[in-house]
Amino acid sequence: GKSLTACSEPSSLAPQPGSVGDRGRRPSPLCEPPPRSNQKTQHCLALLVAGEMSSAAYLDTDENLEALISRIEQKSRKIETLLKQSKPVEALKTALEGSPLKTRDERCKSANWIVVHRAMMAIRDIDGMFNSLDTEYYDILMKYLYRGLSTGDRPTCDQCLKIHEKLTERAGLGCILRSLADTVNTVFVVDKSIVAYLQLVWLVAS
Amino acid sequence: ANTLRLYLTCIRNTLEAAMCLQNFPCQEVERHNKPEVELKTSSELLLNPVLICRNEAEKCLVETSINSIRISLKVKQADELENILAKKFLRFLSMRAEAFQVLRRKPVQGYDISFLITNYHCEDMHKHKLIDFIVQFMEDIDKEISELKLSVNTRGRLVATEFLKQFI
Repeated sequence: GKSLTACSEPSSLAPQPGSVGDRGRRPSPLCEPPPRSNQKTQHCLALLVAGEMSSAAYLDTDENLEALISRIEQKSRKIETLLKQSKPVEALKTALEGSPLKTRDERCKSANWIVVHRAMMAIRDIDGMFNSLDTEYYDILMKYLYRGLSTGDRPTCDQCLKIHEKLTERAGLGCILRSLADTVNTVFVVDKSIVAYLQLVWLVAS
Repeated sequence: ANTLRLYLTCIRNTLEAAMCLQNFPCQEVERHNKPEVELKTSSELLLNPVLICRNEAEKCLVETSINSIRISLKVKQADELENILAKKFLRFLSMRAEAFQVLRRKPVQGYDISFLITNYHCEDMHKHKLIDFIVQFMEDIDKEISELKLSVNTRGRLVATEFLKQFI
């Protein structure tokens, strides 16, 4: 049979909307949308399906990372617009949606953190925010709160501590435990030297 | 004061969630039982470490594993005198770690004091009491260091006054 690695005509592997493979499932707004379809991406998808490329490696291909970075830049512009319209909760929801959790690229995670940080610092009424924030955002918000608490920056830590208290009252201890236990969908790059990394961040910040 | 309350509440909630420990024998060496948070040999047994900072000077690192949790604290040190007093006082406590049971003899690098709580401690002692102890320790350590600083300054002033009287 023909090897997929030698495939020069990449076929469209993702089910098209309306086709038999598409079961009409709408993706959650918090999931990363699939990257734009181009020849290179199709080739990487073919390798992924054939088992010759791991999903982690696929997520870290240049095409996927560039698509993620451009999506985060678009989000940043949208958030600035929403903040000018005095809609901080909508801005926070937009920042939390489509977060690059599965990728291992630190650039994407840092870029998304900057966007979330901007939206988080604009929140003044925390109780009002939780009244309009859906429960599906709680877990991802808790992860970003812990990232904010690790920065050591006084205004960021003050804001994160206030939100953390209210979020724990609303979501419970399970939300904290899920953020501690989830080593796959992270807002940091988690590896064996994570403690050394956090200490380096601390040294640079101070 | 409000920031301190929020900081301690955050640490308390994090510890309540993280202190779910169970007995787990060592996977590498049979008939051995070691705190996995210290060895860090198997990544599937470790949870994400969490760093909670109150400000630039105070922070708390919580590292959790399946059978143990390590809490490292950096206390506020405003000047050189507080730095020396904190170092000496916390070293005094660390050297008597056996009496505290949950204290680590040497703090983790970059921190002033560390606690190591294992599943055995959770079986012998109440979990909420352990957390109360940690939080109370954090509240009292600041007061102790302030009192030590006050007494050093008072003693220094008295000694200097007495010494300089002979030159009057």
